[in-house]
Order: sequence, then C-alpha cells, then structure tokens
Amino acid sequence: MDMLPSTEQTEIVTASAAFLRDRMPVTSTRERFEMTPAYEPAAWAEAGELGWFCLGLPEAQGGLGAGLADEALLFREIGRGLAPGPFISTVLAARVAAFGGRPDLAEAIAAGRPVGLVVADTDSPITAEGHLHGALQLLDGDDGLVLLATATTAVLIDVADLTDVTTVPCTDPIVRLRRATANNVTPVVSVDVSVDPIELRGHVLAASMLAGVIEAARDAAVEYAKVRIQFDKPIGVHQAIKHPCAQMAIQAQLAGAQSLFAALAIDEGRPDAEFQSLSAHVTAAEAAESAASAALQIHGGMGFTYEHDCQLFVKRTLVLSQLFGGIRPQLTRLLALPAAS
Amino acid sequence: MDLAFSKADTEFRDKARTWLAENAPTGRPHHLCPETRTFDTAWQRRQYDGGWAGISWPKEYGGLDLPILQQLIWYEEYGRTGLPAMDTRFVGLSHAGPTLIARATEEQKAYHLPKILSGETLWCQGFSEPGAGSDLASLRTKAVIDGDQLVVTGQKIWTSYAGVCDWQELLVRTNPDVPKHKGISWVICDMHAPGVEVRPIKTIDGDYELNEVFYDEVRIPLTNVVGEIDQGWSVTMSTLSFERGTAFTLNQVTMAATVEVLIELAGSRRSTNGRPVIEDDVLAMRLARARADAAGLRALTYMAISRNARSSEPGPEGSMLKLQYSDLAKRVQTLGLDIIGPRSLALVPGEADGELVSHYLTSFSYGIGGGTSEVQRNIIAERVLGLPR
Repeated sequence: MDMLPSTEQTEIVTASAAFLRDRMPVTSTRERFEMTPAYEPAAWAEAGELGWFCLGLPEAQGGLGAGLADEALLFREIGRGLAPGPFISTVLAARVAAFGGRPDLAEAIAAGRPVGLVVADTDSPITAEGHLHGALQLLDGDDGLVLLATATTAVLIDVADLTDVTTVPCTDPIVRLRRATANNVTPVVSVDVSVDPIELRGHVLAASMLAGVIEAARDAAVEYAKVRIQFDKPIGVHQAIKHPCAQMAIQAQLAGAQSLFAALAIDEGRPDAEFQSLSAHVTAAEAAESAASAALQIHGGMGFTYEHDCQLFVKRTLVLSQLFGGIRPQLTRLLALPAAS
Repeated sequence: MDLAFSKADTEFRDKARTWLAENAPTGRPHHLCPETRTFDTAWQRRQYDGGWAGISWPKEYGGLDLPILQQLIWYEEYGRTGLPAMDTRFVGLSHAGPTLIARATEEQKAYHLPKILSGETLWCQGFSEPGAGSDLASLRTKAVIDGDQLVVTGQKIWTSYAGVCDWQELLVRTNPDVPKHKGISWVICDMHAPGVEVRPIKTIDGDYELNEVFYDEVRIPLTNVVGEIDQGWSVTMSTLSFERGTAFTLNQVTMAATVEVLIELAGSRRSTNGRPVIEDDVLAMRLARARADAAGLRALTYMAISRNARSSEPGPEGSMLKLQYSDLAKRVQTLGLDIIGPRSLALVPGEADGELVSHYLTSFSYGIGGGTSEVQRNIIAERVLGLPR
C-alpha cells in the first residue's frame, strides 16, 4: 500500500501543470468566454500530442497504458488550472471506441478529436433495445460524437442523429452547452459496464477535477488573506478568515486522497471499486461547494464579480457535481451497496 | 501507487486476526469502576504474553518495532474486532511511553517501560490546569527544589482515569522568572504519593473518567525529572510519535464500523410512521454521506501513513486527521440519535439505545480534548498555509 505518487508520476504532474499554465491559462480561457469552442484548438491538439486523451488506455489499444490513478493526478491539475474543454468525455470516449471494437475512432479521439458529454434528463435514457431516448444536454464537443455513460453502459452518439439541437448559455462560462432530443437513436458504439466501468471512471475523474478546484480556491483565498489589508492588518490574522482556510486545506487533502483511493480501487479491480468511486464524487462535490463558497466570501465584493476566478470555482463545482447523474442518485446507490472491503 | 498489501503483510494480517479473535476479551464494565482497571491491565497483559504488546515500540524496549504498514494492519484488525479502545492504557502506551523512550535516562526507562508494556502500571496525563487550557505553557503548578526532591503544589484538571492510574506525566513550573516556555519541567509523579488528591468530575454523559488532581506539597525525587530541569516544554514537544499516525487508524476503523452498524439499525428500526427508518429520504442521504465521509477519512489516513512510510517528516494530513475525525464522529453520533428517535429519551445503562445516547453525549468532547478544534485550525492556518499570526 502506497498512496504517494512515484518520482515519475510527480514529474508528469509538474509537467502537466506547466503545460496548463503556458498553453491554457485562465486569461486565455476568459478571452474565449464568448467563443466556441471554449478551448483554443491548437492547445487542445497539443494536449492530444502529449497523450492526455489515451494516458490510461491499455497499450494493446494504442494507449500509454498508465492507470486511472495517473489520470486522476492529471485531472486534478486540469481542475486546478480551470482548463476548458471536454477532457473527461474525450478520455472516456477513447476507451468506449477501443473496447467497443472501433480502433479507428479510438485512434482519432486519442489524437485529439473532441467528444462532448451527454447529461440526460433521466437516470435511464437508454432503452431496453439499446437506443437513446429523451431530452439531453450536451456539454462541449462539436458536431461529431458525444459520450453518455450510465451505471450499466457507455455509448457514443453521433450529434447528427439528434434533433432540436440548440445552443444555450451555460451557467459555467468555461462550458459550451446545447440542448437536444434523441428519438430512439442507435449508438455508434457501445460498451457494457462488465467490459469497462466507464461511468465509474467518470465519477473518479470528476472527483479529481473537483479536488483540483478546491486546491485553486484554497490557494486564492490564502493568498488574498495575506495581502488584503483592513484595519491596518492583513485579514488573514483573524480566525474568522483562518478557520475557513484551514477547512479548505483539509477538504483539498480529503478530496484528493479519496479520488486517488477510488482510482486505485478500479485499477486493482477491488470489489469495493464502485463504493469508493461514488464516495469520491460525493465527497469531492460537497467539499468543493463548501470551499468555493468560503473562497468567495473571503474575497468579499471582489469575489462576487465576474472578473474574479471565484465565480469559476463556484461554477466549475456546479458542473462537475452534475456529471454522470449528479450527486443525489449516487447517494441512494452508495447506501444500497455492501460495505467497503 | 497501490492499495495492495504484500504477501508478508497479508500473512501478518491473518495471524493478527486469528490471535485477536481467539483472545478478544468480553465483559468490560460500561462505566469506569475499579474493575475497569483489572479488566484493562489483564487485557494488556494478555497481549504482552501473546507477543503483541508495543506494536510500534523499538525492540530494545520490549516492543515489536513493526514496519509501518503492519502497524496499520494491526490497528485495522484490532478496530474491526470491536475490541476495547486504548482508554486507560492510552497515555502509557502512546504518549508517556514514547516520551520516555525519547528523553528518559536508562534507569527511568528500565524501570517504567516494561511495566507499561506488560500492563503492570497505568499512566495518566497532568498537563491542563484551570487557567492553562489552549495556552498550556501558562501553567502555574509550582515545583520547588528541596534537597534531592521537588515539592509540588497546585492543581491539574481534565486528567482522564486519574483515579485508576499509578503514574502521571506531570508538567510543573520550576522557574517563574523566565519566559513561560522556559521554566517548565516534565516529571514522573507517583499517583499514590502523599499529598496527591483526585476528585472525579461528572461529565455530560454521566461518566467520571475526567478528574481534577490536587497537589499539596507532594514530594517527587529529582531523579524523576525527565530531560533537564526547566526543559520540560522541549520534552513535551519532542514526544516522538512512534505510532507515526497509525494509532489513529483505530479511530478511523471504529468510525467506519459505527456507520455500518447505524445503516443496519436504520434498516431494522421503524419510524413513527411505521416504515423502516432507512426509507426516510433525509436520513438515508445523511447515512450515505456518512459512508462517503468514512471512506474519505480512511483515504486520508492511508495518505498520511504512506507519507510517513517514506519520510520521517510528517505531512499536512496528520494535523488534519484529528479535525476531520472529530467533525465526522460528531455527525455520526448525532445520526445514531436520529435513528432511534423518541427512544433516545431513556438513558438506561446497558441498553443498546442508551449506549447510542451515551456516545452522542460523549462526542461533544471530540472537538475539545487533545487540543480544541479552534486551536487545530489555527495550527493548520499558520503552520501549513502560512497565514499571519
């Protein structure tokens, strides 16, 4: 048992953080708030060249053969950097294509073909016949493929097969949102949960990004508390400011540790992989909501502005908490599972 | 990174599990009484005779000096078996003992350490005073050198199990004329010495585990000073945690087990509307969150242990574990109360529901004992995050 990253893993994290800082800084993201896609295509393509979209894909399927734990470390950095783009759905889509017998698609996605994420209006949007049916929301992605992952199956859908596709503003300015309707749409490719737990991996990646958002919120709040002077003192001398900062530090550790634990549980095929993955998403979402809220409060009026990153901590948390069915259904599911092993 | 344990560690786990199952004692008194001491010392003696005492203590002092992962495994198995908590044995095994190992003379170690390990003696702590709580260094219990003895006069408070203990790790003011941290000494006090008076404090849960201890010209040989005279603060701070965070595993495992017990209870108990409690959406959500939180606490514990296994420098997790644990423990015990509903009105010793009420009442101490949550948050804010004082 060892939950600390190896030297090699630490180097990957450092390099990823540097890439995000240089190529996907939040200043660039802000310049594209009114543009589609939300990310700069050249930077996205470079992330593909770095292997970010096939990091955890087995080598036999053309991936880099790393574990979900490695992806979790990368996604914590993506979350911390407030980076735009459908990272989670693209990474998962490469797996669906690979395990669903479409190596051509897997290769294209791994190279950087973006795949958006479907958020369905119901828990079971896939019919007994394996068709997608009902009202959908599409997060990011283009006119090509989108991914939907439920507890039982994961599918890739061609946006061309959907109707009423309409662009609407997203609560989170980092995400591009479309509404759409599926009328018994046949997936391009599908993978059963028994082949690969795509949805659980999604929960873990979302949890990892949330852990990163908490780190960013903590760092911003602590930095501000050190430099903001009121009554001739930095506000950080007061316990009313210190204590929520300490709480954010705990929440960052907690969400980070649990998302790694869950990633390792999936990597090692532990019987409690589902328990740990759902726990990770639930824990990270709750911690991030609290941390984002505290960070905004500590920033006072500045935190309430559109100009400040606090709004992004809040909105990233909102989006990441709604993925893969959202938190409430996961709580019901978690309670019905056997205890952790 | 991995969660798997080696073959040797797994074999150790099996061995520990088997021994614990075969030797687990039952029938510990529900409330503190003289039999509690008999029970606890016998249980410690059984572990000693079985070759399981001093899991983390160095071999030269009779311990097992197990690798950190096997310490973790031992506490996991101990917690899983639902064995008596460290309670009366805690200070000797996990606080005073390790302090003696780090700073005591050979004579002091040779006399005390084997007795702690074999369960012959129990230790308590004499740190807090009525006027020295969070600001411990402002303590005023006075010790004056008289020949080869110290004469101690003053008062301590919040001493757990003082009435059943033999020895006390006692902080006294030996020099009132220097800055407060520089005039304190760490001494071994005989709890049976003339002039020591223990007065139990009845607490919110009806128990008498906490005490005031009064010292009226108590004579302590100078040979009982650990470290140099006036250097007690550094002795206190240097208490090397041989447990290196693994002892905390016991709390975490017990907590996770409690959550599972409550989920089971919520499935079998009926609400006032006649339906199983677990079908109440609000309660179900809280139970599910408690499950997730318990999982998170375990991950945090594993992370702290992983860091300690690689370097002796403690990471930030260590200082966060206590806070996270006390917050969660409080929430979980409140859940227990909400599951039994109106049955929480009766506090009958020995009844299962009464135990839940007791645990709820006891949980108010978690954020106070061993350093309040407020002080813990200050420590994280100032030492980990670098916020100004």
